[in-house]
Amino acid sequence: MSCPYLEYRSSGDGREFDTERPFCTVLERFVQPMRADICAGRYALEHGRDCEIYREHVGGGGD
Amino acid sequence: MGYDDYLAGEPVIITAALTGGVHGKEANPAIPETPAEIGEAAAAAEAAGAAVVHLHARRDTGERAFSTERFQAVTDAVRERTDDVIIQHSTGGTGAPLSVRRQPLQTDPAPEIASLDMGPLNRYDHLTSENPRGMVDELYDEMSERGIKPELEVFNDGHLNEVGGLLERRDLEEPVYATLIFGGGTLSPPHPRNLLNAIENLPEGALFNTLGFGPHQLPLTTMGLLVGGHVRVGLEDNVYYRRGDLAESNAQLVARTARLAAELERPVATPAQARTILEL
Repeated sequence: MSCPYLEYRSSGDGREFDTERPFCTVLERFVQPMRADICAGRYALEHGRDCEIYREHVGGGGD
Repeated sequence: MGYDDYLAGEPVIITAALTGGVHGKEANPAIPETPAEIGEAAAAAEAAGAAVVHLHARRDTGERAFSTERFQAVTDAVRERTDDVIIQHSTGGTGAPLSVRRQPLQTDPAPEIASLDMGPLNRYDHLTSENPRGMVDELYDEMSERGIKPELEVFNDGHLNEVGGLLERRDLEEPVYATLIFGGGTLSPPHPRNLLNAIENLPEGALFNTLGFGPHQLPLTTMGLLVGGHVRVGLEDNVYYRRGDLAESNAQLVARTARLAAELERPVATPAQARTILEL
C-alpha cells in the first residue's frame, strides 16, 4: 500500500518537471528515487516499517 | 597494482557512473534519467575520456527500475550514441529481491561488466541492502554463465573478507576487479589512509577502482591515480563540481579526471585498452 502522504506532482519545491514525480507531502519536497520504492510499497518495502519520516510523522518514530 | 604502476605510466580506466538509483533530478537537474538522456550523457562521458559507463535504469517518473526491458532501452540508447564505450550494468538494489536484481544481466547483448555488491550496507534509518552470500553467489553465477565480468563493489573493509570468501567459493577469472568505495554510513570512512589500507588487503593480482562519495570523489580518485588504480566519477556518486556548485554534467566530472590524469602523466585508457587491461 502506498504511503498516504505520497503524491505525484510535476511542480513544487521550487522545481518543475516534465513528468510527474513522487512528492512527500509531509516533507513538502520531491523524494529520492529509492525512497519512492518505500513510499509506493515496492519490493515488500513498507512506509510504516522502513520510512523514518513517516514513522516520526505519525508518532511511531524511534526504534 | 600500486605506485609502481603509476611510475610506469600505466593507463587509467575512467568509469562514469551516470545516474544511479538513489537520487535524481531533485538533487541535480543534470542527472540523466530517461534512456535518451542517459545515452546522451554516455556519449559525452566517452568523449571526455570515460572507457566504461556504469548504468542504472529509471522509470518515467525518475524512480529506480530494474526490469530487463528498461535496462534494454537504456543500453540500446547508449550503444546507439557511443562509439566503443564499455557498458556496465548495476545489479545493486536496496530492498529488491534476487529475481529483480538479476534482470539487468539479461539484456541482449549482455553487458560486458556488471557490479556485484560484496555485502550489506545501510540506507536511511530503517533499511539495509542485505546482499547475503547466497544472493551474491547467484548473481555471480548468472554473470559467469553470460560471460559478464563482475566488478566487486567493496563498500567497507569487511567486504574485503567477503571478496576472499567469494574467491574460495567460486573460480573467478583473473584479473579480479574490485571497486573500493568510501563515504558515510556503513561505507569505509573516506580517508586516504583507508584507501591505502584497502589496497593492501586486496587479493594478490587484483585490479582496483577508487570511488569516493560526495566531496571525497575528487581527492580520493586523485589519490587512486597516484597509486596506480582506476577511478570512477559521476553524478551517481557526487552531484557537485566544487563546494556549493552543482556539477553541470557527468562529462564535466570525467573531463576533470582526465585532465588530472594528464597532469600526473597517466594516460587515459581507451575502451579498447580497458578491455585489454580487464581481460574482457
